[in-house]
Amino acid sequence: MPGKFSCSSFPSPILLGRLLVRLSLFSVLWCVLAGLDGRSWIIGLPAVSAATFCSLLFAPQQPCPVSFLGVLRFIPFFVNLSFWGGCDVMRRALSPAMPINPGLVRYQVSLPEVPQQVLLVNCISLLPGTISADFTDQCITIHTIDRDMPVWSTVHLLERRVAALFGIRVAGGRP
Amino acid sequence: MAFLHGLGMVCILLGIPFFVSGTIGLLRFPDIYTRLHALTKADNVGLGFVVLGLALQAEEWNTVARLLLIWLLVLIASSASCHLVARAALRRKIQPWTRP
Repeated sequence: MPGKFSCSSFPSPILLGRLLVRLSLFSVLWCVLAGLDGRSWIIGLPAVSAATFCSLLFAPQQPCPVSFLGVLRFIPFFVNLSFWGGCDVMRRALSPAMPINPGLVRYQVSLPEVPQQVLLVNCISLLPGTISADFTDQCITIHTIDRDMPVWSTVHLLERRVAALFGIRVAGGRP
Repeated sequence: MAFLHGLGMVCILLGIPFFVSGTIGLLRFPDIYTRLHALTKADNVGLGFVVLGLALQAEEWNTVARLLLIWLLVLIASSASCHLVARAALRRKIQPWTRP
């Protein structure tokens, strides 16, 4: 990415936009951490600049636009599912009979970009009854705590919601 | 203010059973994969309730924001480390326990 800075004498409008967005996000973050005392910026300014530079350095080349409405819809969906995930595992751990029937399931991802796939893989571990155990060649290996649970349809629903978060649609997804 | 304080206390108390059941699952479940289920999911919900409770009791806005940030970071860290532990186990050919 450093090449991107040296190639042109002027930063491109896209890069400038991303820089400003990140700079303001990290500034807000600094206010949250340090409070509104102006003197804190003696440390805050270098810290915010370094954080912005590093995040641009590690950011993917292709920007992955996030839909604001998608985020608003995703949060309650995610909180609800992860709450039921916690309740489910609590029931299984506390029940004297310990009703578990674990197994591995494979899921073919149809999300196109890497950030979207990473989000999906991470969210799977917080759904009821599933954790993502491996991810290679667009295929997620999922460990389920109960093979009788509808793993495929739950993950497919999550994938559609993740797609909506990025403002795209996914067609398939195969078990 | 007293009402919010009480509601916060209720939320914190609701979080405790989740942490306890996560630990019981860790002890009772038969293999590494099922234990990961117990740890990631139950603790995440437990922490969610504790953070919600503390946020309701908070005096300043940036305490609330800091608490939410902690929850988000723990969420990312726990799901990413869960995935990495499970992947390492799978690549070492540790077979998942199955019901006989």
